Amino acid sequence: MRVTRRIDVAQAASDLRSRTLAEIPRSLDRLIYLASMRDYNTGLYYHDGLASRFTQEVACEALADCHREAFGQLVACSLRELVNQMEGYIESTHTSPRDFVAAWKKLEPYRVAVPVETDPLTAQLLFSSFKIALAILEARLPSPPLPPVA
Amino acid sequence: MISLIFFLSVGMVLFSSLFVLARRHARPEGSSTALVEARQALKTLQAGLLPQDLVNRVFAEQDWNYVRSETPRSVHALFIDERKAIVLLWLAQVGKQIRSLQRFHRGAARHYAQLNPRVEVELALSFAALTSACKALQILVYVAGPFVAPRMVAVVANAAARACKISEQSLGFLDAVRLSGLRGQSRDAATL
Repeated sequence: MRVTRRIDVAQAASDLRSRTLAEIPRSLDRLIYLASMRDYNTGLYYHDGLASRFTQEVACEALADCHREAFGQLVACSLRELVNQMEGYIESTHTSPRDFVAAWKKLEPYRVAVPVETDPLTAQLLFSSFKIALAILEARLPSPPLPPVA
Repeated sequence: MISLIFFLSVGMVLFSSLFVLARRHARPEGSSTALVEARQALKTLQAGLLPQDLVNRVFAEQDWNYVRSETPRSVHALFIDERKAIVLLWLAQVGKQIRSLQRFHRGAARHYAQLNPRVEVELALSFAALTSACKALQILVYVAGPFVAPRMVAVVANAAARACKISEQSLGFLDAVRLSGLRGQSRDAATL
């Protein structure tokens, strides 16, 4: 029974990778997308399409597996890669880089994008890398135009 | 009056000693809780702290080279502070888990005659060397930065992984002892 369920989860995860995640090339985007599939109150993941093809429980476990995978890939990135991924992500959101950096520095949304039961040191390492990457992006921003002199 | 003060002081010393001893034995050595804690420490070390990829990432000099060559000076200090905090956290965690395993083995050696004394002595020496190395590295990193001694980091990580392997074998043996103990208990219960 348990083995069958594991096989179902593997199939659901593979389905998710080939249909949805294949369209999201960056691991940062995948991490944010998968974190957004999780209910903050229960910690359970929801995906209607996947749940209709498999079961809600199997879909939940498959999403959790893919979330851990995306997190692992992002942690393994060098700082240069993380900065590049963040630049790409900012571009895809059509937000002004200045507003994006200011919001991320203030709200630290990456803190809620971590999978459950992540080792605290690994999570801390990623948070720290985000902080440095944001400082790098901020330093690259063109200086704001001076206010007109009255 | 002087003798009253003297006897009161002696009484207080004896009471304090009794309190300390009672607290020391609050969690019996060799208990299931101690075994679970040791297993948890081993898991944390092997899966959370010592994987080669994580160690390489924490001590990645390529990140520092990138920051140094392609970012303004204001970012350099932030990077060094942030990475230093992570390295110190890693060292503190490794030291803590090693001490937890060390405590467990010290207790287990007193309780199980079947443990191989040579292996236990080897483990005790490894644990002592590792905790000292972690402390030395913490001081070095604190003073000179996160990339001060990459070779020493590699030596510590490898030695910790080796000690974990030996400890794992020892814990495997203890699991077998406990399991046979539980089977014995259930057989006794069935007979009754």
